[in-house]
Amino acid sequence: MADHVPRKRIRKVLIANRGEIAVRILRGLHEMGIRGAVIYSEPDRLGLPVLLADEAWPIGPAPSRESYLRGEAIVELAVKIGADAIHPGYGFLSERAGFARLCRDAGITFIGPSPEAIDAMGSKVESRRLMIAAGVPVVPGGKDPLPDLDAAAAAAETIGYPVMLKAAAGGGGKGMRMIPSASELPSSYRAARSEAAASFGDDSVYLEKYIENPRHVEIQVMGDLHGRVVSLGERECSLQRRHQKVVEEAPSSVVGPDLRRRMGEAAVKAAAAVGYSNAGTCEFLLDRNGDFYFLEMNTRLQVEHPVTELVTGIDLVQAQIRVAEGEPLGPEFDDVQPNGHAVEVRLYAEDPWQRFAPSPGRIEMLRWPDGPGVRVDAGVYEGSEVSIYYDPMLAKLIVWAADRERALNRLDRALSELRVEGIRTTVPLFKALLADPDFRSGNLDIGMLDRKLAAGELHPVADASDSNELADLPLIAAVLAHHDLAHRQTATGPATPAASHRSRWGTAGRRGAVRGGSWS
Amino acid sequence: MELVVRRGDREERVRVRRHDGGYEVAIGDRTYQIDALPARAGLQSLRIDGAQHEVAVRPQGEGKYWVSTAQGGGPVEVLDPLAHLAAQSASKGGKRRQRVDAYMPGRVVAVLVEEGAVVTTGQGIVVLEAMKMENEIRAEHDGTIGKIHVQPGQAVDTGNPLFELE
Repeated sequence: MADHVPRKRIRKVLIANRGEIAVRILRGLHEMGIRGAVIYSEPDRLGLPVLLADEAWPIGPAPSRESYLRGEAIVELAVKIGADAIHPGYGFLSERAGFARLCRDAGITFIGPSPEAIDAMGSKVESRRLMIAAGVPVVPGGKDPLPDLDAAAAAAETIGYPVMLKAAAGGGGKGMRMIPSASELPSSYRAARSEAAASFGDDSVYLEKYIENPRHVEIQVMGDLHGRVVSLGERECSLQRRHQKVVEEAPSSVVGPDLRRRMGEAAVKAAAAVGYSNAGTCEFLLDRNGDFYFLEMNTRLQVEHPVTELVTGIDLVQAQIRVAEGEPLGPEFDDVQPNGHAVEVRLYAEDPWQRFAPSPGRIEMLRWPDGPGVRVDAGVYEGSEVSIYYDPMLAKLIVWAADRERALNRLDRALSELRVEGIRTTVPLFKALLADPDFRSGNLDIGMLDRKLAAGELHPVADASDSNELADLPLIAAVLAHHDLAHRQTATGPATPAASHRSRWGTAGRRGAVRGGSWS
Repeated sequence: MELVVRRGDREERVRVRRHDGGYEVAIGDRTYQIDALPARAGLQSLRIDGAQHEVAVRPQGEGKYWVSTAQGGGPVEVLDPLAHLAAQSASKGGKRRQRVDAYMPGRVVAVLVEEGAVVTTGQGIVVLEAMKMENEIRAEHDGTIGKIHVQPGQAVDTGNPLFELE
């Protein structure tokens, strides 16, 4: 690692992203007195990042590959506007080594790791090899096909039961068999091979350690350009729907100081093995015995970085910029321990009770929660159009409190203050989760949310209410609105002839008035 | 004013009366005295015997409303009793006819059946794509497909007709 790292003041940053993360980065820049420039696609002209930015530059039409993924055009723009650095955010170009190289070649600082580190961690096979060499635990087993039953039995003994038999040509859970003990290996082995041959035309199978209902626990790391890498502790991200994180916490309720130290050391080793600098995340599976296995490293800032910020007091975006300027990690990075508990929910424009159908449209009304311990990282405002072109995440709601119980109570309170009208959101899912005993007690694993959704165990909280008044409330509200509309129409006539449904309310109102007696 | 209100499987006759202090609403054997004030357009503060409820109501045309309370949001339909009666007698005599509209803006990826096709409950009719996700619009009941209003590749807005199911 270079000891004479040139210091380079960053005065202007081009943000190669959109939505809430662009806003988050702008906030970090502005607090440091750095000018923030954003790119925007045609439908994002009035997006929140553009409104908050110092400079905004068009980058193309709506489809990502014609706008936010135009790496060369983005680097050219950075040069043209005199930006010192590019922050890629997450998604889009953030983990493309080629983009980081383009930046480097153009003399623009890429706020992230080196292209070499991105490359090394980007390949599953290569990173697994590197991790084994570095002594980082990976899921035991191997992708090498097992030629016969003896080879399979030997491999299973080495790995330790239970094991998972997988078809080499399989994927997405197809062609997988869990084998609890040696006695069941022969029949499963034969069946798996013929099944694999029938399904994939290839009867190769391999063995991996079976990890029962693991958690997803990840370690935030930060490295400077002087060869120092530190762990900033873990995030619990087991609540996932179809492998997409839905709720994240820090710390994990099952990670104590000793496990935190060991996982942190493994993550630092993993990062050091590829000469990692800047912010990154090592993802692990954690089993019930407290054993953990490296999955992959995300070589960028994560969506869920705020929970780490809230329990460590470290501004990760600002730390990224200082590291990119060549500053060494300061004393605030020595032996970082979590303080209190933070929970983040990802607010999506999706209807959780309609199989998560997307719900684009105009946000007619928006009131964010506020008050003690509440943070909102949003990419939209009241009046925003949620377009059909991009990821439907509207915002992240993050709360902090002294412990998990209080943080969940605070989340419940904050969700009750939140108002989003005009589109449907995943808020009702979070309400249902807060009423779920497993979630409440922190009894989580990566399959839990999908299982509960499939079993119909999560449902609108209103259904649990036995109060007549609350059950009648929506009826009352609709009737009052209908009554008022009808009376307004009766008094003034329909506003426009085109508003045919309004004139029908008018008719209903007049009929009611004629017939109604004291009941107007 | 007498009205019929529908929410999910529930259907109630409701009487509403305006008086000096607010409204009186009767649902079944329950009568509520309500103080209702708009906090802003579309957002009401309802006080029912002192209990305060913040409720957002969005008219969606033809007596349909989207109502959001602290317990969540959902559609509520308000009907004039005479219209309700007419609709009931019409549906008794004739076939059930339903026009299915797009519930979100998007692009039609595929039309899975032809006009005149006999379909069963749950059968996919049209595939809509929005936000990089494909969503199958399915038949809500057994029947015959009438007119199909869209073709593959076509962009649709919320409320645009997709097909008729008889």
